[in-house]
Amino acid sequence: MSDQDEELQLAALQRQLDDAFATTRPRSGFEDELWTRMQAKRPAGTRLRDAWLGLVQGIRAVPAVPTAAVAAVLVVVIGAGVLTMSGIGRMRGASTTSAPAGTQFSRGAEDSAIGKGAFGKLPAPALNPGSPTRWSDGTAPAPSSAMTAPGLDYTGPVTLTWAGKFELTIPSAPVFRYREPSTNTADQFATSLGAILQSRPSGYLGSYETRDFNIRVRGTVQSPGREPIYTLLAIAAVPPVVSAGGPPDVATVFLAEHSLFPSWPYTTVELAQGDQMKVMFLRQFAVPGYGNAYAINSAGERAGLDVDLKGNTPLGAVGPLPLELESAPYSIISSAEAVRSALASSPAPAGSASVPAVTLTDAELVYALVVAGNHSFYEPAVLFSGKFTLNGNTYIKRVLVPAVDPSQRSS
Amino acid sequence: MLADRPQFEDLYRAYLGRIYAYVRAQVHSSADAEDITAQVFMNAYQAYSRFEARNTTPAAWLFRIARNATLDHFRAHGRRERLRRTIEHQPMAEADPAAEAEDRIQYKALLVRVAQLPERQRDAISLRHSGLSFEEVGALLKCSEDAAKMLYHRALKAMKEAVAKESV
Repeated sequence: MSDQDEELQLAALQRQLDDAFATTRPRSGFEDELWTRMQAKRPAGTRLRDAWLGLVQGIRAVPAVPTAAVAAVLVVVIGAGVLTMSGIGRMRGASTTSAPAGTQFSRGAEDSAIGKGAFGKLPAPALNPGSPTRWSDGTAPAPSSAMTAPGLDYTGPVTLTWAGKFELTIPSAPVFRYREPSTNTADQFATSLGAILQSRPSGYLGSYETRDFNIRVRGTVQSPGREPIYTLLAIAAVPPVVSAGGPPDVATVFLAEHSLFPSWPYTTVELAQGDQMKVMFLRQFAVPGYGNAYAINSAGERAGLDVDLKGNTPLGAVGPLPLELESAPYSIISSAEAVRSALASSPAPAGSASVPAVTLTDAELVYALVVAGNHSFYEPAVLFSGKFTLNGNTYIKRVLVPAVDPSQRSS
Repeated sequence: MLADRPQFEDLYRAYLGRIYAYVRAQVHSSADAEDITAQVFMNAYQAYSRFEARNTTPAAWLFRIARNATLDHFRAHGRRERLRRTIEHQPMAEADPAAEAEDRIQYKALLVRVAQLPERQRDAISLRHSGLSFEEVGALLKCSEDAAKMLYHRALKAMKEAVAKESV
């Protein structure tokens, strides 16, 4: 064989080797699997540091947030401003306020504003008195401010009067809209937590696992209306969160470690349940000119993200799936119109003398979920409430009045 | 400096396939290659804060980690691995359906041939065809650029002869 032939053969072999190395790749899916494993195995300290860095960067990106507000976020919510709430059912409760209004912290829930009334005519929100007052996942919704003593929801006919004080001076309020999440949305969310898809159980967008947690993601529930949520449950012995603070501090650190820190304003409530503690991050929506308005569930109770703890050990969490929100301002009714609508909502049947008389004493602007196909809405509404006693039982009567001007409503 | 370094995820996405191919040319199963590749990037991820771009290229840094991880793999498997490699010098069918599927890939036989080379020749071929310069190959193998070239060409000739012998 001549030198030239040998050179040609070597060159051919080199080309084959180039091709062999260029075409040898891991199986499909390995790249994402490994990346997810790497994210999941990051040291807790690193994840916490990154979470805080993201938090701080998120706050820095909002120029209007004063330094004090930044401090309010970084100094975890405990201590100051504790509002003791006596006897909620069998539970003990405390509430603290945190998170500057309108500040976006990390992922998701970034609302983009568009034109007035841009979503067209809106379906009206309504309470669903028959809906359970506990999530199917076992988490308890929070009481509204009106609920200062134990009470049962009363759904029968009543004669209503108004004896409270409520002023709604803003001419418009934002309506928020989200697109129904897909399995892809759920997968992206789970991946961001370092979780790997296990299955897609019926009724869920996906079931995922990290080393320590099972995570399930569910889309919107039509009736009673519930927003898309994630449920995170410990499946291994989770190490306690190192924190010198109380349960809200522990819950906050836990959420930050797992990139689940709420991106929306909230206040916290603690609920003791035996040897466990539930920390509830009650979701709020920022309303220009008004302040923050609480999100309520279909029973009219404040709702948001719940973290279950046993001591400093997280047991699980359930909260709204972080979704991108669009917002559009809508004209809203006046407080006088809201009161008139509330009083007209439960006319006593003719000739029934036994109908209880209820005095509504509290009212607040809230945001209620309205499920509407591929897009669902968080709409402003006025929640009236009042307590009364019947046959020795204390009841609460709640009335929800849609706040969006009737001309902008489809129902 | 932090600003000199690409995001680790960018590095990961850019080099995962090349590192896997390099490792795959050293070991005899795709499962082992995946394990080692995973270890490479786990190690790299942890060490990335100490990586300084002015001292080396990301490619050379990653392939050094990959080479060390592969050597660790061989050390860890010790006699068992050597026995397996001896056995696998004989043609044998693989029972694993995934491995059988991979067998059908056009160039797998060539990588098997690479895996049978002596260690330094194997490294020279694998690193060079993974895209490293001879200077980088030399740095990794602790020899000069010229020595790396010679090593590579000896390996290439050895491969050619082995292929020719097999086809006779």
